[in-house]
Amino acid sequence: MKETYDVLLPEMNLADLTGKLIVIEGTDGVGRSTQINLVKPWLEQQGRAVLDTGITRSELAGKGIKQAKAGHTLGKITLSLFYATDFADRLEHQIIPALRAGFVVLTDRYIYSLMARALVRAMDPGWTRNLYSFALKPDAVFYLRIGVEELIPRVVFVRGFDYWESGMDLHPSEDMYESFRKYQTSLLEQFDVLAQEFDFDVIDASADVRTVFEALRLGISRVLSGEVREPLFAGARPKSHGDSNKPPETDEISSAKETRGSGDKGAGERGETKPAVHALAGAAEDDANR
Amino acid sequence: MKRYGEHRFPGKLFVVEGIDGSGKSTQLMLLHQWLQAEGYGTVFSEWNSSPLVRDTTKRGKKKHMLTPATFSLIHATDFADRMEHNIIPLLKAGAVVLCDRYIYTAFARDVVRGMNPKWVRELYSFAVKPTVAFYFRVPLDVAIKRIHDGRNGFKFYEAGMDLGLSENSDESFRLFQGRIIEEYEKIVPEYEVTAIDATQPIEEQQTLMRQLVKAKLAQAKRLRVAP
Repeated sequence: MKETYDVLLPEMNLADLTGKLIVIEGTDGVGRSTQINLVKPWLEQQGRAVLDTGITRSELAGKGIKQAKAGHTLGKITLSLFYATDFADRLEHQIIPALRAGFVVLTDRYIYSLMARALVRAMDPGWTRNLYSFALKPDAVFYLRIGVEELIPRVVFVRGFDYWESGMDLHPSEDMYESFRKYQTSLLEQFDVLAQEFDFDVIDASADVRTVFEALRLGISRVLSGEVREPLFAGARPKSHGDSNKPPETDEISSAKETRGSGDKGAGERGETKPAVHALAGAAEDDANR
Repeated sequence: MKRYGEHRFPGKLFVVEGIDGSGKSTQLMLLHQWLQAEGYGTVFSEWNSSPLVRDTTKRGKKKHMLTPATFSLIHATDFADRMEHNIIPLLKAGAVVLCDRYIYTAFARDVVRGMNPKWVRELYSFAVKPTVAFYFRVPLDVAIKRIHDGRNGFKFYEAGMDLGLSENSDESFRLFQGRIIEEYEKIVPEYEVTAIDATQPIEEQQTLMRQLVKAKLAQAKRLRVAP
């Protein structure tokens, strides 16, 4: 049975949520929407109904948040709470009904991105965790992890710097490049803390789109077939492929886990390659348009 | 981010709480008059919430699309905006700030709607602790008698119609406010709120209120002349 991180919302019945909640997390420009555009058709080909959702897409607060961000007028606590309102609306009106109907809910970011942003903006850690303690625990969180050095060219060459993604509210005197670098560095640090606390499945996102997609497919297949995942940091399971394909700067979090799928191309999968290729063509463009 | 506690700003914050018909707004207005006459820089904290938050709240209410969770969170967002952009700057500037309703309203209302009491209290822990919070305690029947003349029915959320307590808005309001009173009675000792007997004559309540406020203002003045 599904559960929340702590508190239950009124009339939140968790007994019949038969669907699967799968989260794709990662920082700005890491390629989340590219991957979701690959994963969704792949799942649908297998006959699974998919709901994809993402932050600021609620009927209640989505529009207000976008306008607020355009004007840069809200305070830090206010903006954190506005995001939480948007999240609660989507949880109750989109995610839970879809899970009840047996859907695979594929969400582009979840509470973790919101928490990371709040923590980088010096919100109290206890307050931030309490705020989202009504969230459902997902069946899996795939974290697309990347270093800031690899992130910068992707963002610069694809879409340019954005005020919020560069944390300009935190470093107003810096140029956007310096600010982006500082902001994303601290954001990635927060993500690493959360990865450990919330048991993320870490995928090396510095690899090419297809390699990342294969790692995701493998992970998602495992979740959907109900396979139990090995404990993360225990190191109990013998590794099927070595550490040789990891970048040298990989820290303890990702080295405690495997970069899943990168060495097992095509294992146990048939007929999925084709749609993937189709989707790959338009993927970079989609990402830029989001 | 500061947590709920005694603030160190030069200003003072006085808030009134109580159900509709408790007379709290009248008392606050009288206090305002007196403070101004005494020469204090006094400001009513206007609910100047940013139009973005306000529009979202309005839309949610109009379309009845709010659940207890989103009702709680959108009001917390609105309150945070008021805290960050209005109350804190005023307190920093040394003003005497007056608020008609504060976080205790949310504690009572959200918990009656079924939200977890600890969660709601933690949610509002960014709020500045008032210098004095007054609770105007009144029996439900007295309050309803007072508002019956002045008002023409109740709004959907005001009467707690979303709780499905009764089809009739008068009856729903009565049941809802009764539960709000129960929650207020838990909050009063927990947050050291000053309870005032709101069945007493208006002048007597006001005299008591002014005494309590004056004691805190004397302190403030001494603090301000200190080096």
